[in-house]
Amino acid sequence: MKFIRRIVDSIKPHFEKGGRFEKLHPAFDALETFLFVPGETTSGGVHVRDAIDLKRTMVTVIIALVPTMLFGMWNVGYQHHLAYGMEAGLMDNFMFGFWKVLPIIVVSYAAGLGVEFIFAVVKGHSVSEGYLVTGLLIPLTLPVTVPLWMVALAAIFCTLLGKEIFGGTGMNFMNPALLARAFLFFAFPAYMSGDIWTDLSPEAGQAIVDAYSGATNLVTFDTNHTLLPSAGDMFWGFEQGSIGETSVFACLIGAFILIATGIGSWKIIVSCFAGAYFMGLILNGLAPDDLPMHSMHTPAYYHWLMGGFAFGAVYMATDPVSAAQTERGKWIYGLLIGAFTVILRVFNPAYPEGVMLSILLMNVFAPLIDHVVVERHIKRRLKRA
Amino acid sequence: MQHLLSLLVKSIFVENVIFAFFLGMCSFLAVSKKIKTAFGLGLAVIFVMILTTPLNYLILTYMLGEGALAWIHPSLASVDLTFLSFILFISTIAGAVQLVEMIVEKFTPALYNALGIFLPLITVNCSILGTSLFMQEREYNFSETLVFSLGAGIGFFLAIVLLAAIRERLQYSNIPEPLKGLGIAMIITGLMGMAFLSFSGIQL
Repeated sequence: MKFIRRIVDSIKPHFEKGGRFEKLHPAFDALETFLFVPGETTSGGVHVRDAIDLKRTMVTVIIALVPTMLFGMWNVGYQHHLAYGMEAGLMDNFMFGFWKVLPIIVVSYAAGLGVEFIFAVVKGHSVSEGYLVTGLLIPLTLPVTVPLWMVALAAIFCTLLGKEIFGGTGMNFMNPALLARAFLFFAFPAYMSGDIWTDLSPEAGQAIVDAYSGATNLVTFDTNHTLLPSAGDMFWGFEQGSIGETSVFACLIGAFILIATGIGSWKIIVSCFAGAYFMGLILNGLAPDDLPMHSMHTPAYYHWLMGGFAFGAVYMATDPVSAAQTERGKWIYGLLIGAFTVILRVFNPAYPEGVMLSILLMNVFAPLIDHVVVERHIKRRLKRA
Repeated sequence: MQHLLSLLVKSIFVENVIFAFFLGMCSFLAVSKKIKTAFGLGLAVIFVMILTTPLNYLILTYMLGEGALAWIHPSLASVDLTFLSFILFISTIAGAVQLVEMIVEKFTPALYNALGIFLPLITVNCSILGTSLFMQEREYNFSETLVFSLGAGIGFFLAIVLLAAIRERLQYSNIPEPLKGLGIAMIITGLMGMAFLSFSGIQL
């Protein structure tokens, strides 16, 4: 550690005022504060001191994301070996997935942080930690076969147009990671749907087994819901899908961490699940009896287990910046996300996965929800006075 | 009944005048700085829509369409005045806007001042003429026209109030100087349009 400290100290004067690389100070500052706790006291008017700062918040979210990431890596290997009918151990599966997923994560961080650094240098503020979470969320929402240039494009797009243009972390109104996912989904539909969910890079002397099907559960669900895998398989996550979304169990571990540390709002998570369940029940009631395979007949709790619902509800909907800010607004926001997800899944054949779009849409509605809640509150208080 | 209901949902969400057709962008971008004024303009647009589109429908069916004048005298059955539809539609709209202006000035002078030039400019709000022209092109009957104009109005109302809420929230954002105002509003509109894409493809 002392060694690193000495290097940092030796190059520090160049980045101070009057130094050769004065303009690059934000980049240096970001690196230094990432490695060491800064030894300066606050200057200026605000002296709020809290153990939880932005850096710690972001790191907690990353820790909460680790279970989904590790499981996702294992599942990439598992699905690959399953498609070729090969037996593979735990480590084989994991290492295969690790080397497939790692480049995606590295590219996502490099592209997004690059944009952040450029903006920080040009605008002369310090680099914010906001991208640490976004940069990990983007790979987890993508299929493993995604080309790396698309990852870079999406990361640049979402950092630039989703965040920096509004002034950086905490000032945007849409979840940047979801924006990246939606951007790719609409711009490159051929790469984002169809037979892409399992890595099918050829294996020596092996052919793809006959039982292999590239369809995710959501596609199966649209055509014939009785063919869905068992609820247990979907809960643990032995299914095809984007890297991080398959395992509901891993998402629940993450939800536990987020709720226990108070970083994710339990109200949003609970109301998301409740909204989906109620909507599922309503559709069960309305389902036509003469079409027993119609997706409206799906048991309501299946909506919790299929696709990326749990992932979206736990990690995406709880983003404190783009969600509703008022406590009552959070309930409404979550319920609408859940209900709308199920509506999209059932009624919109063009988009099998509704979670991403329903959260984006509610991001758009969140400021209005807040406004209505606040106005109603003011009216009630005025009446009481 | 179910058909009309799905037409309503379709015209509000799936074929939103702003996000699917980009009609009426000028007032959408200009009057969306505050929720209150956006709310007022939205209501005014709904009112003008449900007044003018059915009126234009009647004009179209009983005066302009091919053979529409047959009710006066059978010899007029061959007359086709459809080429006059633009000019008559827009005069209906201008008349209706005059009415709205008088009502708003009389009852809510504060809103009248806040809306300023954009209230009379509803006359040339493309979403209103657009709704009338869609009515003509898609050959809606009278009840469909009523529902469609209501849906299109609510769609505009929803869009402008949503944008105003977002812009009010972004007041404290550190938006780069050159993008402040219209620039960022355009970008927000684009991002909102992306979220509204979730409705496209819904079969009703």
